Amino acid sequence: MKDTVIVDEKQLIAKEKANNPSLLRTIWREITHDKMALGSLIILIIILLSAYLSPLYIDQEAQHRVNFLNVWKAPSAEHWLGTDDGGRDVFGQLMLGTRNSFTIGFMVTLIAGLLGLTYGLIAGFYGGKIDNIMMRILDFLMVLPSTMFIIVFVVIVPNYTVVTFVLIMSAFAWFGKARLIRSRALQERELDYINASRTLGTPSLKIMFFEMFPNLSSLVIVNMTLTLAGNIGVETGLTFLGFGLPSGTPSLGTLISFARTPDIVQNKWWVWLPAALLILVMMLCINYIGQAVKRASDARQRLA
Amino acid sequence: MLQFILRRTLIMIPQIILVSIIVFLLAKAMPGDALTGAFQGNPDVSQEQIQKIREKLGLNDPWYQQYGRWLGNAVQGDFGQSYVHKQPVTHLLAGKVENTLLLSFFTLVVTYIIAIPLGIISGRWTDTWADKIIVTYNYFAFATPVFVFALLMMYLFSFVLGWLPYGSSVDIKLEEGTWDYFVSRAKHLVLPVLSGALIATYSTIQYLRNDIIDQKLKDYVKTARAKGVPEGKVYIRHILRNSLLPIAAFLGMEITLMITGSIFIESIFSYPGLGFLFIQSISTRDYSVVTALVLISSTAVIIGTMLSDIILSIVDPRIRIE
Amino acid sequence: MSLLKVNDLKIHYPIRGGFFRRVVDHVKAVDGISFELQPGETYGLVGESGCGKTTSGRAIIGLNNVTSGELLFEGKDLAKMGRMERRKHTKDIQMIFQDPYSSLNVRKNVLNIIAEPLRNFERLSPKEELLRVQELVARVGLSPESIYKYPHQFSGGQRQRIGIARALALKPKLIIADEPVSALDVSVQAQVLNFMQEIQEDFGLTYLFISHDLGIIQHMCDRIGIMYRGRFVEEGTASEIYNNPQHLYTKRLIAAIPELDPEKRFEKMHLRQSINQEYQNDYNNYFDKDGRMYDLKRISESHSVAMQ
Repeated sequence: MKDTVIVDEKQLIAKEKANNPSLLRTIWREITHDKMALGSLIILIIILLSAYLSPLYIDQEAQHRVNFLNVWKAPSAEHWLGTDDGGRDVFGQLMLGTRNSFTIGFMVTLIAGLLGLTYGLIAGFYGGKIDNIMMRILDFLMVLPSTMFIIVFVVIVPNYTVVTFVLIMSAFAWFGKARLIRSRALQERELDYINASRTLGTPSLKIMFFEMFPNLSSLVIVNMTLTLAGNIGVETGLTFLGFGLPSGTPSLGTLISFARTPDIVQNKWWVWLPAALLILVMMLCINYIGQAVKRASDARQRLA
Repeated sequence: MLQFILRRTLIMIPQIILVSIIVFLLAKAMPGDALTGAFQGNPDVSQEQIQKIREKLGLNDPWYQQYGRWLGNAVQGDFGQSYVHKQPVTHLLAGKVENTLLLSFFTLVVTYIIAIPLGIISGRWTDTWADKIIVTYNYFAFATPVFVFALLMMYLFSFVLGWLPYGSSVDIKLEEGTWDYFVSRAKHLVLPVLSGALIATYSTIQYLRNDIIDQKLKDYVKTARAKGVPEGKVYIRHILRNSLLPIAAFLGMEITLMITGSIFIESIFSYPGLGFLFIQSISTRDYSVVTALVLISSTAVIIGTMLSDIILSIVDPRIRIE
Repeated sequence: MSLLKVNDLKIHYPIRGGFFRRVVDHVKAVDGISFELQPGETYGLVGESGCGKTTSGRAIIGLNNVTSGELLFEGKDLAKMGRMERRKHTKDIQMIFQDPYSSLNVRKNVLNIIAEPLRNFERLSPKEELLRVQELVARVGLSPESIYKYPHQFSGGQRQRIGIARALALKPKLIIADEPVSALDVSVQAQVLNFMQEIQEDFGLTYLFISHDLGIIQHMCDRIGIMYRGRFVEEGTASEIYNNPQHLYTKRLIAAIPELDPEKRFEKMHLRQSINQEYQNDYNNYFDKDGRMYDLKRISESHSVAMQ
């Protein structure tokens, strides 16, 4: 075969792109090679699509209307999962709850990821005294029993809204991430490419976010996928206890929190059980996907 | 060694002081103070009188003076009055501490009883059927939120199957000290303990499995095998000796998990412990109890973490160098 | 005027100990060294590992903090400059790193790696930037289509060339080469070294060449400074050092160069024995009672030795 000289820039770039698949592409390949992960992804997509598109096929108005002739109806053709104490359709609330829970879990993961990333990068990049002080603070934050503190904050914060809830949760969700990123950043800063950037006159912030960060990105993505599930769990748990989303915003936890009296637990299972199972399924799916992402980020573990 | 322990213990002191300051400030931020509850809805007490009493109790002093007094009292076990239960907070807590300690202790024990053998099996016989089942189980344990699991356990065993009781810590009709009382007490513990333990096994199994797999390939194990040490002994005398010890160091983390878990588990099973009390108190805005609970839990976690670090440093000398 | 004048450079690190982590002692990584670099020459810093040669090099470029001493670059003291002021001189001093595998960011393609210094100091349009990078890539002998490739697609020698291209991008006056070939196969070492000599002429570069390999130093350097335990042992032109070593340590180093000619092996062995004898007898002439080296003493126009 003869060597062909390629001059076209675009063609060149495309060729090298193909030789160096991006992380997303690797993740995709890993997921499609793992039946469990692929199944999880499909199930998750179905759940999320039906939840987020529910306004298209569920009458939103009817969701808020209280109908006392219709309370505690068992599942039927009309109400797939029966009705609750106000005669509202449980299936509709389930979809709405999934939407809210997922959105909030996602937001918290994003904000906490950003906080943890910044904190960890700064501590790891500068090292030395700065790192020492920042880690002392982090050590302290990590020993706080966060669930208790979140509940206390939820109760004492004035003008409590969904946004405040997300902020409170995020404020307690970034510690582990910061520590993880910091320890990797500490290793990374010893490598010469960081030193090289310094000798080339690149400003520290730029080195942190444009040189070091891309090398940590797979770590961040893996960690965020795995904590997404955890954050949805925390949110629904808090809402279940009554210290999560404000009452106007139903979540999966709201439905589960019906299970406070023996009568409802036993005889009106259709109100809370589907939500509990749905959380379980979502968690398992996200975690399976997370595991595939984790393998994709580490060449030694890949199946594909 | 001694120096490390001393230093580690000294670090704890500022941590506890900082936590107490935060808790105190939070308590101040909570609506109402010691008097609001006491005179609530009492028309005989005028604003002026309340002001006088506030002055006398030092509620108008700068915050750090109030903090000093509050901390002084807390150290002596005086957390003020609960204005819902109309009794001293300490008294209220005393009745619940035992239940929570019992629950946590058994949960911890059961967790290790399940996790250690499973971890060893899964690490020693990797990629066998047993390992695959354990890994799948562990996967569920990791993914399942504790409250969902506890609820499902309760639904299944108390309602559908009707095998085990739920709610409270003992059948109230029974008299204390009898055999039946003891049995009832134990039965009431089974579900809460299992709900916590079955999913708390995650980290221990995961750690053991990974560590044994790592250790298996190390040179000292190969040497032992080459010397002709029987396979069973290789595990008991060589690998497990290295792998099992650090588990002790997870204790601090487990304590944190127990505290979080107890809030959910106790409130689902209406188990009268500190976690349930916390939820009840914060729902009824009984802040003096809330404050006391947050302070005690934080201190427990701080001490637990310190113990972990010290145990780890005894087990693994490399940690001490840092 | 010399391009770089290092004056009594000291780099000490504190050792902390005791219960309160107080400073109990210092590691004297570099303990008072002085030398000068003339424009266009190659100056070699040699010594065993841990003698402080790399630390000195990194201090000159600003990667390590200086405890005391002067770093006069074109008459201005780099050690006393603030970060911002010092950044202006980054253009003039560049570095070639030892490990070509970790010194290139694996997430960036060659274009982005070489363009990094250009983006920091020069405002170029993407077109101009591409041209400059292509020019540099061609100059270091890589094929033009390689600019969109990633570091892992190159061999060690090629990577080191990319590193050199990056260092050349700003047209520096001084290049600090920290063991530039010790991570490479012996077969490509010579290639890279000869190439470095070529570009030295083309760009009028001054090298501070750090190495532990006496053969390479002899091949590359005009003048040489021998370091031991953070101090200078001997300094002189390459021929003075290799043909007329004065200090005991230098003699031992030179004697340790493997002899390829089997005929001369016995001769060499005797030489080593006699040096060893000298070490036993004259130790006190070379080291003071703390085992520290004496200050350099001039014995000819260009040759200095640390002796009493």
